[in-house]
Amino acid sequence: MTSGGLEAGGQIPGFIVKKIEKEVYEIFIGPQHPGSGHMRIIVRLDGDIIVEADPDIGYVHRTMEKLSEVREWLKPIPLLERMTIIDACNVTLPYVNALEKLMDKKPSTRASYLRVLLCEINRVASHLYGMGIFGVFIGHSTMYMWAFGDREVFLELAEALTGARLTHTYPIPGGVRRDMPQELPGMARRAVRYMRRRLEEYRKIFVDNPVIVKRLSGVGVISKSRAVELGIVGPNLRASGVKYDVRIAEPYEVYGELDFEIPVFEEGDALARTWVRVEEIKQSLNIIEQAVNWLETHKGEPVIAKEDFDKLPKLHKEVYEREGRVKFVPAHATMKIPAGKAVARGEMGRGEIFYYVESDGGITPYRVRVVTPSARNAIVFKHVVPGHTLMDLPAIYGSIDYFPPESDR
Amino acid sequence: MPPKISLKKLDRRGGLFEGVKSNIHTLALGVKYLVDPQRSTLLYPKEYIEHRPGYRGFIIFIKDKCISCAACARICPSAAMKMVRVTEIDPKHPDKPRQKQYPVINYQRCIFCGFCVDVCPTEALYHVPFHDIVYENLADMFLSLEMFQVEPQRPATSEGLPVVYEVDEIKGLVKRRKS
Ligand code: SF4
Ligand code: SF4
Repeated sequence: MTSGGLEAGGQIPGFIVKKIEKEVYEIFIGPQHPGSGHMRIIVRLDGDIIVEADPDIGYVHRTMEKLSEVREWLKPIPLLERMTIIDACNVTLPYVNALEKLMDKKPSTRASYLRVLLCEINRVASHLYGMGIFGVFIGHSTMYMWAFGDREVFLELAEALTGARLTHTYPIPGGVRRDMPQELPGMARRAVRYMRRRLEEYRKIFVDNPVIVKRLSGVGVISKSRAVELGIVGPNLRASGVKYDVRIAEPYEVYGELDFEIPVFEEGDALARTWVRVEEIKQSLNIIEQAVNWLETHKGEPVIAKEDFDKLPKLHKEVYEREGRVKFVPAHATMKIPAGKAVARGEMGRGEIFYYVESDGGITPYRVRVVTPSARNAIVFKHVVPGHTLMDLPAIYGSIDYFPPESDR
Repeated sequence: MPPKISLKKLDRRGGLFEGVKSNIHTLALGVKYLVDPQRSTLLYPKEYIEHRPGYRGFIIFIKDKCISCAACARICPSAAMKMVRVTEIDPKHPDKPRQKQYPVINYQRCIFCGFCVDVCPTEALYHVPFHDIVYENLADMFLSLEMFQVEPQRPATSEGLPVVYEVDEIKGLVKRRKS
């Protein structure tokens, strides 16, 4: 194609042709950059003011939805958790909930509590991960080290509960795969007390640190109406004063029975977004405590639906008694799910996750659609970043806790 | 009490005094951890973690228990487990060789989800609580039926000492030598 064609408004299929104005400097940030995951932001600068920012997503697209269609019903669980491996239970739970709706199955209460327990352990670990990366972005490497070190405490809890640090593959339709080990309540209580004290130290070294406060206040402000208009979710939405959390708007599992308080801030800037996460960790710690207290005092119920448990062969029951491990029956490998459509949603560390699952009665899903929180938060780059200086970009990126593998699926 | 959602206020008092106070807090805390750091680094391979029972590590196969049902190969989400056909000779009937199927595993693909262990109707598969094993080449990661039945040797055990990590109220994760 000749340049004459371009000037006349010609187009190259698959390419976006843009005229660059004089004095505007275009830089490509990423796909490899100090943050987490791969994602490119194309920014156009006038001096050091960003006049335009284009999030260029898709570097870690792994066709999760399509792959789910060619795998038997249970197999997408370990697959989908790899979208957000740091938040594995939260990301797969709505999928399992959708299957349960299709199968008309209800998990036992004990299983629900165990799911909530792991979800909240994941949420703390995920927020710590986000704060650590945020620290790297704005050059505060102490925060990075601390957050990643403290995250290990919660991974240790998750490992004791499920047998794997990150890829738990814990919820299954009708329940969970393992019961809580004996020592977990003690471990969890110690971890909770430790983390409460540490959050106070985080406040001193990071969120109340005058350098950080100056760096973050008034940066990347998203007003309440703007946040709703852009459709952002999760802690970012709550930092802009919108009272919305799926755990409260549409309680799933046993969230309706627990006592916790979702923090909302009004300022909508990077500092408020950081504070939302700190306060949310505190609430998650409360929930962890309540969950282990309940689990300790309500023993006896199996961790999968009663009707499923009664049908298990003798050896399976023995293994459950001995190790607390739920064994599958071979029919699970090729189980069929009644035809129908189901939707389910849940609140991940980064916001609302939504699943649409359709079955045609076969052994694999007909369609699995997933909308992840990061996919919805990516729009912030396009609409909030312009007008800031280039050095505010890392602060905004870190504060919205964007996780590319989750967004790209 | 049901969960609720509530508005919180950010404390944004500026002022010289507040600034100086938070600066001092920050520095004091930094100094505290400078003299008394919190360390939990594992000095691998001089030390190795002894995981709890129930840790999903390498998978070992017990041939005598297997009934060749292939459930493990069918449920594997990453197609890491495959069935192989072998001819077996029963000592009682040496003239009648039998065709049997047994699973083998490919550790290039395995994601340690544990579905195969959980689905086996006779407990012919089990996890060992570690997965730090080195293979010299990729082809070795595709285990033969014989290799699949032996518990692998953990390389760190020859020169390292076992440690366990415990959750501590003051220090977070603490490493403790296991006697
Ligand atoms: S642990 Fe999972 S991935 Fe590995 S062989 Fe078993 S079923 Fe397959
Ligand atoms: S599931 Fe167990 S019994 Fe069946 S083939 Fe696999 S190892 Fe053998």
